[in-house]
Amino acid sequence: MKRFLSFTALLMVALLIACTPRPPVYQEQLLTFGTLVDITLWNVDEARGRQAVAILARDFEYMHNAWHAWHRGPLGRVNQLLPTGEFFSCPPSIVPLIRRSSELSEASGGLFNPAIGQLIRLWGFASDEAPKGPPPAVEAIRALLAQNPQMSDLQLDGIRLRSRNPAVRLDFGAFAKGYAIDQAIEQLREQGINNAIVNAGGDLRAIGRHGGRPWRIGIRHPRQPGMLASVDIEGDESIFTSGDYERYFDHDGKRYQHIIDPHSGYPAEGISSVTVFAKQADVADAAATAVTVAGPDPADWLPVARALGVTGVMLVDTEGRVQMTPSLDKRIYFDIEPKPDVRFSEPL
Amino acid sequence: MFASASHCKPMKHWLTKGDWLVLIAALLLVPGLYAAYWHGSGQGLEARVWVDGKPWARLDLFHVQHLDVPGVLGVSHLEIGNGQVRFTDSPCQNRQCIHTGWLSEGGDVAACLPNRVSVQIMADDPRFDSINF
Repeated sequence: MKRFLSFTALLMVALLIACTPRPPVYQEQLLTFGTLVDITLWNVDEARGRQAVAILARDFEYMHNAWHAWHRGPLGRVNQLLPTGEFFSCPPSIVPLIRRSSELSEASGGLFNPAIGQLIRLWGFASDEAPKGPPPAVEAIRALLAQNPQMSDLQLDGIRLRSRNPAVRLDFGAFAKGYAIDQAIEQLREQGINNAIVNAGGDLRAIGRHGGRPWRIGIRHPRQPGMLASVDIEGDESIFTSGDYERYFDHDGKRYQHIIDPHSGYPAEGISSVTVFAKQADVADAAATAVTVAGPDPADWLPVARALGVTGVMLVDTEGRVQMTPSLDKRIYFDIEPKPDVRFSEPL
Repeated sequence: MFASASHCKPMKHWLTKGDWLVLIAALLLVPGLYAAYWHGSGQGLEARVWVDGKPWARLDLFHVQHLDVPGVLGVSHLEIGNGQVRFTDSPCQNRQCIHTGWLSEGGDVAACLPNRVSVQIMADDPRFDSINF
């Protein structure tokens, strides 16, 4: 009898706990940074959430204007002065981007190369709208490749900057979003918010957790409506996906996507989408581009992923075949039937 | 109704077979009710439309309709029904909003950035807190 009463009492307590109101989740969308930014904050009331997001909105807008390669602004000015070969005062907002992206470019063996701004512009992918084609002339591509612009051509002395190669133009399109998300996460932490997701155009960094459970993230299918897979995140992790469906143009039955191979001068081929896991969003962003350029052969992409220090890679090639690092084996749950036949790479 | 302490019967005699059956059935029902009503299916019942960052409409996803949304460049066209919503036309060049296709998952979102029109599926307890793409 005592046992029965104890069980009943415990059940009642459990039910009462279950009836406790859930801590608030504050969510807000921003049309900024040239994309849709979705902020999710756990256990933050509306007034505090609104205040935090207002600060992020201001920061994102500033970063978007400052870091556009060809608009009038700090980076646009840098790109105007680089061909002179002379030292000039680099705007302070650009200095950390140059330092950080130079490190990642070197680690990627040049597959992530923000110095190829002219090549990206030649293909038409520097503007906010995707180009309609046709592809640029072969001679124009060859001429730019022959000049071999690299981040190592830059000489940064304090805030004094010059380029030893007049062909260098900086385009942080494959890096700025990740760097901006990292800045946003730091801003939230400074405000004492430690459970949050900052998602900019589908790429995200999540910190903390959703109360008693991890954050649940869906990964959209690259070729059909709905989800390809889901994954739980807790602690601090970024997920970035690059795909050939994002920005592209079709010409004569061939798809030309926005990720340009700095070695060939042509859009990367062979991979439909790459999803990269890393702690820092800037690493995940640069790595998604570098792995896409490396191509679907694990002998090519795995060393790049290792060098950049990512924690997981899942890629879908243009034939729909899925490859994955073993680190994701127990974490990714496929949401499609039949489940894909996954080919696992060597460990990272 | 209750036996006094001195005449307390063992529990197996205190509850009838019928009582046990009801108790077991109730316990078995709990996980089903949890899955159906507490955890949620993740599917949204409504979509919210924003224009230029401001709320513009709330749509019942099961009410079949075609909607013209005036954005900053022109009109974006939405198709709604069967628990889904999609862009079918928009005055943008790259048509990313249209290529996104049907949305039905709570939290999923599509946007025509040049026209500054976005649509998001709302759900009480979405399967996902955020969607990567």
